[in-house]
Amino acid sequence: MNLRLIITIIVTKIVIKLCRLMHWGGTTLSGKIAIRLYPNIAKAVSKDFRVIMVTGTNGKTTTTRIIGQILAENGIPYITNKSGANLVYGVISTFIESVDIKGKSSKNTALIEIDEAAFKRMCDFIKPEILVVTNFFRDQLDRYGELYSTLKKVTGGIEKSPSTKLILNADDSLCASLGRGKTGNILYYGMEKKAYTGSNESVNSDAMFCYYCKTKYDYENHVYGHLGGFKCPNCGYSKPSTDITCTGIEELTSVYSKIAFSARARKIYKPINCMKKLDAEKRSYKGKNFVLSNSISDKTYHAKINLPGLYNIYNSLAAISLGNMLGLPVDKTIEALGNFECGFGRMETIVTNDKNIKLILVKNPTGFNQVIDYLLTEEKNIQLAFLINDKYADGTDISWLWDVDFEKLQHIQEKTDNIYTSGIRAEDMALRLKYAGIFTDKISVIRNYSDLIDKGLERTSPGHSFYILPTYTAMLDIRNVLRKKFGLKEFWK
Amino acid sequence: MYTLNICHLYPDLLNLYGDRGNIIALRKRAEWRGINVNVTNLSLGDQFTPEAYDIVFLGGGQDYEQEILQEDVLVRKGSFIREAIEQDKIFLCICGGYQLLGKYYKTWEGKQINYLGALNLWTTGGRKRMIGNTVYELDFLKSDSCDGKIVGFENHSGRTYLGPEVKPLGKVIKGYGNNGEDLSEGAMYKNVFCSYSHGSLLPKNPTFTDYLITLALKQKYSDFVSLFKLDDELENLAHDTIIKRVAGKY
Repeated sequence: MNLRLIITIIVTKIVIKLCRLMHWGGTTLSGKIAIRLYPNIAKAVSKDFRVIMVTGTNGKTTTTRIIGQILAENGIPYITNKSGANLVYGVISTFIESVDIKGKSSKNTALIEIDEAAFKRMCDFIKPEILVVTNFFRDQLDRYGELYSTLKKVTGGIEKSPSTKLILNADDSLCASLGRGKTGNILYYGMEKKAYTGSNESVNSDAMFCYYCKTKYDYENHVYGHLGGFKCPNCGYSKPSTDITCTGIEELTSVYSKIAFSARARKIYKPINCMKKLDAEKRSYKGKNFVLSNSISDKTYHAKINLPGLYNIYNSLAAISLGNMLGLPVDKTIEALGNFECGFGRMETIVTNDKNIKLILVKNPTGFNQVIDYLLTEEKNIQLAFLINDKYADGTDISWLWDVDFEKLQHIQEKTDNIYTSGIRAEDMALRLKYAGIFTDKISVIRNYSDLIDKGLERTSPGHSFYILPTYTAMLDIRNVLRKKFGLKEFWK
Repeated sequence: MYTLNICHLYPDLLNLYGDRGNIIALRKRAEWRGINVNVTNLSLGDQFTPEAYDIVFLGGGQDYEQEILQEDVLVRKGSFIREAIEQDKIFLCICGGYQLLGKYYKTWEGKQINYLGALNLWTTGGRKRMIGNTVYELDFLKSDSCDGKIVGFENHSGRTYLGPEVKPLGKVIKGYGNNGEDLSEGAMYKNVFCSYSHGSLLPKNPTFTDYLITLALKQKYSDFVSLFKLDDELENLAHDTIIKRVAGKY
């Protein structure tokens, strides 16, 4: 019986509750207090869990949620952190919240979203059994320095935790570099050349030059940003062969995508240890299928992904890979992809009077470009609002707006009679739209979020959508307004 | 009809903080006046022939990318750049591109990287990054209708110092500027304009953009007098909002 541990857990739990009660929402304070009281707390509360971590620049939250859905479909109980608690202290708080006062939990899988710049430090406290990496793009450079320093932070974390199994995006030369020269448990996912040929090289790509020898990559195909079939003509560094491969995109709509994918047959090194936790019915189901489900056969599957956008195909491939690594049956994974519903801001839909408000978080050029591509798939008329803040969590530099291809919006100019800009940098956003060729009479700056929602909805026809694209802190603010208007859930719940 | 030929040097390498916004602003503001605009992207291995262009633009990049172009810019393009500058070619250079025109960059650890030496200025690496919104004043822009105030966003650890032939572009009102010490921001030499202001330097400062376009057209066409005015409501709104917020008054 470790009295100090018990006291630490109790105190931390109280602090977390207090923060909630006061609507502070944060878990940083509680995590700091916990470490102060019991320096070894992270290890103590996480040691009974098999820890899966998800990191990368874009798509962390969605990928984490999809994996959560896959775990749920398989009846695997798990704990997870919510968006906004993806730094070291937030993660530690999540564990403390999930255990009883003795540091035990009935669940033994932890699914953790971790900020890419915090991963290295995280490994000082908790080493994941599996790390899923989505991608590396330029993001909030004023905070993190440069793209390559972020990559080095993740590399550094992996070095600290050599037994961690990796799930890596083969189409991202930066992400794939994490597995280079390593043998052992790595799964690569990616898009086959013939699956997507729609995009051309972008001069503004984030990583056009070989990470190892600085020669310009040759590409077999470009998907978006610097993702694609890269190969260095000088040193030979190239896209690794993929284990989970999208072999075809059958449909790409504004609501969902349909894909074909193949999974390379592989043997799973051990059965998932949460089997014993399953209830009797599930256990018998599992029992029957255990051996079969443990090795995926080498064949093509079809899945409907209940999320739009090319980027969500990558997120889904990452989640499918995780399912594969855990030896979960593919049919359950496919079910999970079809049943997935969005959470906090990563495409959240609120329906009111037969009109949809769709919230999509934007935070960096690549992500924003993907959202614009997605908007172009919308067939109906839309209302559109951009909410740009420049607080610390958004990135204080908003010049990245000039790296986003808003010029593409010209194609849907006739489908939208108004584009609203709001947030602290509403004027910068409005100016960007003007220089992207949007008619100035279609651009309106509306500061007040409540007015913005009213105005946008008023002009939205029934059955149509009002798209709101906020940066992170603008998302928190507009969500508060929406919560009051329409009774949305608070995000940490 | 007038034509403006813009050269964007290393757009695939020096493209860090929305620097292409400057190209977009030059293009749009010229096109809105019926001026033909051609933008040529030149990168590694391409021959730089200055006489083909009226304005040359160099943006900022990450250290990694600047290392990649180091040899190409010094060996292949260096002499052309130096010569063009001496012959009054108009250059706009931001952050890394600005440093590149100088003599050298000395890192914090004391390693010296030799640069183009086109301008008598030099940069030393600092430990602390200088990040934030900036406001500075350009004397040559001042007129009855313009107070000469420029807004931007800086993010650099290099501290740049100017030799006697090189004048600062402006005087810092808010922010760090060249080195955080002498209130100077950017550099001017002949028709070269350098600044640490990233991304949206030209869009939010239309007077400066028009100044550059005018300079280029006057240099090229003897019959060119001036640009006609545009509706700059949004430009001025974005500009004034930042001044109000950062400098606290307007």
